[in-house]
Amino acid sequence: MPRTVLDTERLLSLAGRPLSASALDDLLFASKAEVEGHDGTALTVSVTPDRLDLLSEGGLGLYLQGVLRAAHGIPSYRAAPTEDLSAGFEVDRSVEPIRPAIGGAVVRAPKGRSLDAGLLVEAVRFQEILHSTIGRDRRAASLGIYPVDRLEFPVRYSLEPMANVRFVPLDASEEVGAVEFFRDHPMAQTYGPLGRAGDSCLALRDARGTILSLPPVLNGRAAGEARVGDRELLIEATGTRERSVAEAVGLLLVAFVAQGWSISPVPVSRPDGSRSDGTPLVHGHSVDLPSSVLRGLGGESLSAAVVERRLAEARLGGHPQPGGWKVDAPPWRPDIMTAVDVGEDVLLAEGVRPEDGLLPPSRTRGRLRRETLFRRHFASTLLGLGLAAPHTPLLVSESTVARLGGEAPLHLRNPVSGEFAYIRNRLLLSHLDVLAHNTRHGYPQRFGEVAPVVVASPGSDTGGETRYHAGLMVASDTAGFAEAAALVEYLLRTVDVAAVREPTEVPGVTRGRAARARVAGEAVVELGEVAPALLSELGVPVPVAWAEVDLTALWPLVARLDTA
Amino acid sequence: MEEESLGREVGLPADQVRGSLQRLRSKHLALVEEEHETIPRLTPKGESALARGLPERRFLDALRQHGGSLTPDEVTAAGLDDEERSAAIGILRRRGFLAEGPPFRLKADARTSEGFLPEETVLKQVSEEGADADPAIVDALERRGLVRRDHRSIKRWSVSEEGRRLPLAPEGEELLGSLTPEILRSGSWRGRTFRPYDVRAAVPYLTGARPNPYMAWLEEFEEVLIGLGFEQAEGPLLETEFWNNDALFMPQDHPARSIHDALSVEGVEGKPPAPDLLARVAAVHEGRPLPGMGAPLGPGWPGSYDPRVAVRPVLRSQTTAVSARYLAAKPRPPFRMFSIDRNFRREALDARHHLEFHQCEGIIGEEGLDLRHLVGVFTTLADAIGLHEMKIRPSYFPFTEPSIEGYVRHPRLGWMEVFPGGVLRPEVLGPLGVEVPVLAWGIGVMRLAMVALGCNDIRELFQDDLAALTGGSP
Repeated sequence: MPRTVLDTERLLSLAGRPLSASALDDLLFASKAEVEGHDGTALTVSVTPDRLDLLSEGGLGLYLQGVLRAAHGIPSYRAAPTEDLSAGFEVDRSVEPIRPAIGGAVVRAPKGRSLDAGLLVEAVRFQEILHSTIGRDRRAASLGIYPVDRLEFPVRYSLEPMANVRFVPLDASEEVGAVEFFRDHPMAQTYGPLGRAGDSCLALRDARGTILSLPPVLNGRAAGEARVGDRELLIEATGTRERSVAEAVGLLLVAFVAQGWSISPVPVSRPDGSRSDGTPLVHGHSVDLPSSVLRGLGGESLSAAVVERRLAEARLGGHPQPGGWKVDAPPWRPDIMTAVDVGEDVLLAEGVRPEDGLLPPSRTRGRLRRETLFRRHFASTLLGLGLAAPHTPLLVSESTVARLGGEAPLHLRNPVSGEFAYIRNRLLLSHLDVLAHNTRHGYPQRFGEVAPVVVASPGSDTGGETRYHAGLMVASDTAGFAEAAALVEYLLRTVDVAAVREPTEVPGVTRGRAARARVAGEAVVELGEVAPALLSELGVPVPVAWAEVDLTALWPLVARLDTA
Repeated sequence: MEEESLGREVGLPADQVRGSLQRLRSKHLALVEEEHETIPRLTPKGESALARGLPERRFLDALRQHGGSLTPDEVTAAGLDDEERSAAIGILRRRGFLAEGPPFRLKADARTSEGFLPEETVLKQVSEEGADADPAIVDALERRGLVRRDHRSIKRWSVSEEGRRLPLAPEGEELLGSLTPEILRSGSWRGRTFRPYDVRAAVPYLTGARPNPYMAWLEEFEEVLIGLGFEQAEGPLLETEFWNNDALFMPQDHPARSIHDALSVEGVEGKPPAPDLLARVAAVHEGRPLPGMGAPLGPGWPGSYDPRVAVRPVLRSQTTAVSARYLAAKPRPPFRMFSIDRNFRREALDARHHLEFHQCEGIIGEEGLDLRHLVGVFTTLADAIGLHEMKIRPSYFPFTEPSIEGYVRHPRLGWMEVFPGGVLRPEVLGPLGVEVPVLAWGIGVMRLAMVALGCNDIRELFQDDLAALTGGSP
């Protein structure tokens, strides 16, 4: 889950009521944020991925105000569009192939106040969280914060030849060319490929030609460095998708809104001549909440007053309309997509208690699948034969597969390690590991397992087929083919079928002592004596008999006999 | 009876008698009592003193012969060496017979009767192995090197209770050993006596098999669900991203779907689902109306839906994929389904995380179900495994809304996050054609099993230690 460290003092100053650490823990338990630790002035919190707004002091502060009833509804933050911003963003056609989306808003400090160090730290930290989450590591969206008094609209967004771009990066004092920047700067090495096309790079320049930033990599110092004391900031995002850009900007706004800053939209002019006034990004969105949906989710009819109070406590805006409510969500609540999302907020604000639980009366018959019962029969028969019952992973190691040889099973494209790199296609692979892990114990050793394997199957809709095998091994002074065959014959007799054996070859099994057995013409069993070279490699000092019944192949044959 | 006597009686050499007695004893047929005794015997010096007289006796005799007075030279002449002379003078003086000297004289009141030197009597008794010798005097003689003490153990054998009960073959008859088919067939056992076995003797070490504890626990948990009316379902372990994610309204760029979290597979290609279903799922992802519907179910996710992603094979990361397949088969409401099966995530291995883990998936579909019923299922399942205290908090899953998490209090481990679930979103149910509310959950049963089985490391649930599985060395 996404997590961050918040400034406890700043958070509690927003809450509107004094709170002890334990009271804060309890309040947040009922939210989608969770306290992971207190450390003096630092509070570590994690949130569910849908409530990224709670990863800022501002977002979490607004939430606490709601549940403590210190404030309700959506805070007032909208400022009218202003003439000085009317030029807005101008988007050049050149950005369309690589990063076409841009959006932004201007935040203004309340009268008599300005950007303080705490809010600056919060905004920058939250910006980075948004890059790695909703921004998908800056690919879908990346944010920038700029002082409005050091830039001049319109801000032009275009793809420029790198040779024409020179700027002082935010973390430097010397001007560099974009060519050197993309070649040498660590941030450019990580994110540069997202903002380049051949010899060109994305650039945001103001009306005077000053570089604001090279999205999505880094701001320039001249017009891209927000400082303590600034009163007006441009919050901007570029990305591959309009919606991700809008959500990223909307989420970052919460840090400023919670501190009383107001928000103005910034218009965007498109290369096709279209123009948006930027208000949807600032104004948030509305969702219909039919009372039937709410009743369907929670089971009880809540009075209109209760619903509206809960909406207000959840810091949403609710207006009655026929059949329910129209609910306004601020731009920092992109998780509110449909009626069920609003319904959740209302129900969770109302509280969900174990004692409210109702066990619905059962009108169905519980049962295991018949094929599962068939497998269980084999598992219990193996147990009845005195075979110990290991439980082994489906994934096997590179060394296990190499040791056995033969056709390799399916390989993971991205294994964590060589220890779990292949998907077994025979239990034999896992059971050789069992032998190797038990050489310190005495002999005889007898074990068996009913478990899945996966085999490549071009005809299957997933490219592979999950099959269940019953595998067994006997390791003793006298173990041999005859014992494996006798055990298999017994297993098959228990389901009233008999198999016909024929010679075959199986990797890792002694040539001339391996067999395949067919039931009604279908190959369902492999068995034999494990090759001495393999035993020697595993450190097993006694002969080993092995058999494996393909229960997935056998089941339809037995079921057919059943039916007949 | 003592061994020696027994040997004499049966006419066997001592070593044979001893060996036989020990075998009978190992079979608990004979008992032995052992006594230890000490026997004083004369040393060579003691033998000499018995023959020649004790030095003090010889000193007294010499005194008498010389008229009651002796010079040192006369003592030497009487045959007493220096050691004997010193011993004799010391003893006679301690007993108050000799006056100060030399010359050596008897005190006037000294008697010289036979009873005057009891050592002489004891020395004689020891030489005759008499049992009445005065122990104090024997001790004194031992200190003078005239007597030594020998130690001897005496074993007295008797027949045990079991030995008395033992049927004895008549004189001259051979006992029967193993009962063979031949003996049975011929009836030659009739009237014969079997050689008894030592029923306490060691036997070969055998082991059996018992159910794998983790598998047994999972089956018990299944029983609870079956009792609540749930039918089992199953799905493939190798899945396509369509069923694993897309059908569950997981955005195609969701971090949990990245190569860092899901395990993808080389060399195989999946197939898309039925075109109609693919189109419906694509519509909800992109926020478009389903065919025949006027309005979209929701705004969908940012970005366009890519059907090429849908066919990519992955190892199933959640049993919710089984629910998606089950719902796509359009079960008739009311329905209740569970699936306890393996899932896979790209986790680094440690005591709490494994790439491979079991999840208990469950869904209930029925008109009129709501969040309270999900809570009711959670509390019932928790009660069934002995955890009676629960609290609920909000949670998030892309496919459920509302989403909750049930925490249960374990007496030793405190609050544990165990029951995640919610109400399936319209964006999941709509494309699959399900028209009733569906409650869904996916319980981390491995964690519950670890608690129930007292296991501190998740890797122990993949048990292949045959000693542990058989209850001893195999």
